[in-house]
Amino acid sequence: MASGRPEVVWGLVASHAAALHRRVSVADVCAVAVSSAQVSGVWVTAAVRGGPEFVMCVTDPICEQLAELQLVLGEGPCHDVLASAAPVLPSDLDHKQWARRWPGFTPEALRLGAAAAFAFPLLIGAISAGAMGLYRSSPGPLPGGRLGDGLILADAATMLLLDGGPRGVDSAASEGKTDGQSLDLAVHRAEIDQATGMLTGQLGVSAGEAFARLRAYAYAQDRRLADVASDIVARRLRLDPDAVQDGEP
Amino acid sequence: MDAELLSDTFVELADTMVADFDVIDFLHMLADRSVRLLAASAAGVVLADPRGQLRVAAASSEAAELMELFQLQNDQGPCLDCFRTGQPVTAADLAGPDPRWPRFAAAAVQAGFCGVEALPMRLRDQVIGALNLFSAPPGPLDLGDVRIAQALADVATIGLLQERNVRRSETAAEQLQAALNSRVVIEQAKGKLAERLGIEMDRAFGLLRDYSRDNNLRLTDVARSFVDSGVADFPPPGMPLPKPQHRAFG
Repeated sequence: MASGRPEVVWGLVASHAAALHRRVSVADVCAVAVSSAQVSGVWVTAAVRGGPEFVMCVTDPICEQLAELQLVLGEGPCHDVLASAAPVLPSDLDHKQWARRWPGFTPEALRLGAAAAFAFPLLIGAISAGAMGLYRSSPGPLPGGRLGDGLILADAATMLLLDGGPRGVDSAASEGKTDGQSLDLAVHRAEIDQATGMLTGQLGVSAGEAFARLRAYAYAQDRRLADVASDIVARRLRLDPDAVQDGEP
Repeated sequence: MDAELLSDTFVELADTMVADFDVIDFLHMLADRSVRLLAASAAGVVLADPRGQLRVAAASSEAAELMELFQLQNDQGPCLDCFRTGQPVTAADLAGPDPRWPRFAAAAVQAGFCGVEALPMRLRDQVIGALNLFSAPPGPLDLGDVRIAQALADVATIGLLQERNVRRSETAAEQLQAALNSRVVIEQAKGKLAERLGIEMDRAFGLLRDYSRDNNLRLTDVARSFVDSGVADFPPPGMPLPKPQHRAFG
């Protein structure tokens, strides 16, 4: 168990943003993923609830083309991961199985220079935020032990996409902070998911918004997410729509 | 051990591995049958998430104290040792002097458990999780039971991989992430239902599971439809249509 790894990985993302004197964003996650996964490029597509998917950020022009290709064709690793709720990790696109699975995407991806591709869904249970794609110009799997880091980076991207919504952490954060909310997901707790579900009813919102509000509340109160969730599940705390305004109690 | 119960259990588990089975529902059934077969007090299937955490996929009870015992083992405990060594780990008397895992032992005894066992879920040279058994009275499983327990842990591994046919996954790692996410969907649905009906989480889980079984639907699909639904009513409108009956009985 490489426990404590999420904090380390988030630290890399926060440092990347700090070095550029800007708030942490999905672009920092993509940049860190390039070196962490030892790939040529990383991109993120976002899917806002009910709306069309769009390219959120890319680290090079080939990423943009690979992302757009999948959106246009409606097939490819990033396309599949949301349906399967699992990463898809083709380490050698030249293998016949990938051309069979994605007859439109695979030959074109190879032509663009992607010999390997890895896709991670950006989701938390039923909450879906988009997909993160990685490509490498040479074939080969993710380096040993790096799948975990890829998953953590995908989590970070998911948080940032959800936090960026109208009631998310961004609106609750004070001016001038460059690191924003810490990941606070070092340990996954079922209570956080349960509290999310409870809040859809209490606030009358979608699960994605419920989760964003939960995080915003914890951030505004300077409390650990797990502790706030625990209070909600134990019914010691309710967040009502009238009371909650931009993360305040 | 009741030989008929033993064979019935394995037949039941095998029969559940049909094309559109639900891995979390399956592992929940396995945990439940493990308790019955091995005369344990509680059981859970814990999976090793590559993010660096042991996460419970299913347990024989949704009781918060039991969930906490799985959670504690991220720092110390039989599941952690089992994961690291790939070997069965047993502690016959957690209430005895000088326990191996002081914080875990104290919490387990507090929750009413004096005996604990962790059997590795192995896939080739990798340990992907563990079957964690608790018993109220102290004392280890006898040797015959340990072999059955290991067989159940192996069935849990097979069950995890079985969904590969549904998901077109290529690797066990992908399967594991799908299973972990299914668990999250179910937790979200539990929360929404518990809030809606003003009931406890374990009762909410029971309602979700009973509805999916009664209508021959996948538990995760029911949970996801409910969470996605814009209304709080259960069952929500637009629930996926039941699939044709595959099972021979049940």
